[in-house]
Amino acid sequence: MVTQEEIHAYIQTIPPSAKTLKEVLSYLDKQELAKAAQSASEDPALKLYLQNIVNKPIYGFKNDIKDINQIFSILGLTQAKQIVYNYMISLLSPKKWELFELNTKSFSEIQDRLSLQWKKILEHLNIKDNDIYTSISLLPASIIVCEALFKSKQENINLLRASNDLDYNTILKRLSGMDLYDLCKEIADVWEFPLKTSAIVLASKGDKKDLDKETELLSKWMHLLFFYQLSQPLAAQAGLNDFIEFNIDYVQDIYEDFQDLIMEENA
Amino acid sequence: MRAVVKNRIGVFHPQGFLDGTTAPSMLTMEDIKATEALKVEMLLVSLKKVVFFNKNGLNVFIDLLYSVQKKSGIIVGLCDYDDKKYAAILKFYNTELNFSLFKTHKIASLFSSSMQEKDKSKKSILVWQEEPSQRSALAIELFDRGHNPIVCQTQKEFDEKKSQADLYETIVYQTFLGLLGSKIATRVTGNAIIYTVGGFLDAEISESFDLNYHQNSLNVGFTLFIFDAYKVISMNIHAVNFFSKLASAGAEYGANLCIIGMTFEKTPENFKHELEDAGLMFFDNMDDILKDKKLLKELGGSGGSTAGNKRALNKVLVNELPRFISATVNTMEMMTNAKAEKQDASVGELKVDNINEKLASSIGFYGNIDGMVVLIFPLNIAKKSCELLLGEKTDDVEEILDTLAEFVNIIAGRVKALLAEQNISVDITLPRTYENVEDLLATVEKRKGVQVNLNFEGEGFTFFLTR
Repeated sequence: MVTQEEIHAYIQTIPPSAKTLKEVLSYLDKQELAKAAQSASEDPALKLYLQNIVNKPIYGFKNDIKDINQIFSILGLTQAKQIVYNYMISLLSPKKWELFELNTKSFSEIQDRLSLQWKKILEHLNIKDNDIYTSISLLPASIIVCEALFKSKQENINLLRASNDLDYNTILKRLSGMDLYDLCKEIADVWEFPLKTSAIVLASKGDKKDLDKETELLSKWMHLLFFYQLSQPLAAQAGLNDFIEFNIDYVQDIYEDFQDLIMEENA
Repeated sequence: MRAVVKNRIGVFHPQGFLDGTTAPSMLTMEDIKATEALKVEMLLVSLKKVVFFNKNGLNVFIDLLYSVQKKSGIIVGLCDYDDKKYAAILKFYNTELNFSLFKTHKIASLFSSSMQEKDKSKKSILVWQEEPSQRSALAIELFDRGHNPIVCQTQKEFDEKKSQADLYETIVYQTFLGLLGSKIATRVTGNAIIYTVGGFLDAEISESFDLNYHQNSLNVGFTLFIFDAYKVISMNIHAVNFFSKLASAGAEYGANLCIIGMTFEKTPENFKHELEDAGLMFFDNMDDILKDKKLLKELGGSGGSTAGNKRALNKVLVNELPRFISATVNTMEMMTNAKAEKQDASVGELKVDNINEKLASSIGFYGNIDGMVVLIFPLNIAKKSCELLLGEKTDDVEEILDTLAEFVNIIAGRVKALLAEQNISVDITLPRTYENVEDLLATVEKRKGVQVNLNFEGEGFTFFLTR
């Protein structure tokens, strides 16, 4: 149904990151916001993406912000880098979604919510590492990969899932030996994302042992946050609630903290 | 969200967080209708992967389940919860608990109307419920479905017995029976189908008896049908007519209908004569049949042939043959990630060269067209086909047979969808599996059909379509 050849072919379709994006990220790493803004302004699509993002109510800025320098200075280094990563992931998303009921806007909304809540979690945990901060951007790539690999196999998948409680990730793993998280890592490697970024996403599937304490803790928060978002109406209506398996036991020890931090705010 | 349907039990598996805002997006009326169309006998929501729920969230699910319960009378409820979740549910619903609660999916399956009895040397089932009337209800319903419940009378007794869990097949606790389904409980023992009836039998028996299930059982080769009537107080002429008609309809298939444990203290004795004239047989005890091997064989309860069923393939069925083959091949390819090659096809009785190291399964379908699909797997192919569903390699034949049943169900589901595209509507029966191909050959003996031999990675696989 999904062969290793198909997966390999998919990985080959991931384009290398554009020169402008590399420049923007490089300046952000060097903490040169103005130069990063200057480079970003040379990519009209990125510029428009940034303008649209920061003017969304979810970001809470009162005035309509158009100037790219202003956008970067308001966002700051860390958040700007995270949004550039979100932009890169969104470049992989299909023009027309078939497996999941999503579109550009709703996918972006899921990215934004994850990003902002991840920021809140890291503030709560008092973690200020940029690579950890941006790791959340890679997670929604799993949705895009799933769409790409399974969209033409819906009929088979529906029949299989009607008789067995199997999620897409498990089906893929059993058929090919690779899962959606592994494919996120492939994307991260092609785009030269920091190793720490993909390591946390890989750990967040909740089946890894021998993790260092920080990665283990972060992976639990990321796992729970992802399923919190996949339970929300936007994702559930898109058919995402059960596309990947939630490991409830993995997050038991952080659940109450999560409830206080994220759920109380939205209650 | 679509339900997973296995053995006529539909289960929804929501994940994450259930509250009044999120729950309506996870389960909709359309999802419920799609599941209802599959003729489930029980519809449950699993809380296994739910980390948070509140009453508003559960209410959304419960209201949808109630609407089905009201319309079709099936069992509805929640399953797969831990101690904390169970306590929360009881707190939320307290006196208004009209739906059922099953600690696990496995426990729920014990209460389904049609359950397959597998383990002939089965162990007892340990039962505990704080509430005495529930305790009795659990025991009675389990008994009616062919189990041996051992009911604990105190928490202390339960704790003591529970510590020796390996003595019991299952431990039923934190389970509550709400409104039970209105269908007559059915179970399969070897090759006999046992229906449990009780109380006063009148015209309502026609409503509560699943005639489709019975008809399909005839189609797939069952010939011995036993009515467990120990708890019948009396019956009227409508019930007598019902049994007589059932016996006449089964005669074409060589079916034998038996009534066990019926006393005629409050029922006119001439009803018994009338039923005997119609071909029904009366026995005092279940063991009079099940333990008498000679009689069991005569009645067809040990896997005999269906000599009465020699219906020929018809043109409509033959026209649809490519769809059946395509559904089978595609499913096999999907499950094994291997390519199938068609070897040869022939019309006639089923021929299997070497019956050793092979397993088989069959499934019936009925509606605009009717018939039966039989699949014979070499053990290696069967194992490989099951890996995707099981997630690991296994040599456990019972596990492989269980998975083959799911597998043939997937094929039948695909056939149903393909036929629907041609405006041909069919429903499918429960699948049947055979550890011994000889039993299958006895079932389809003298039936003509289309046999297609396929090759998967050098091993032969047989498809047979018959009526």
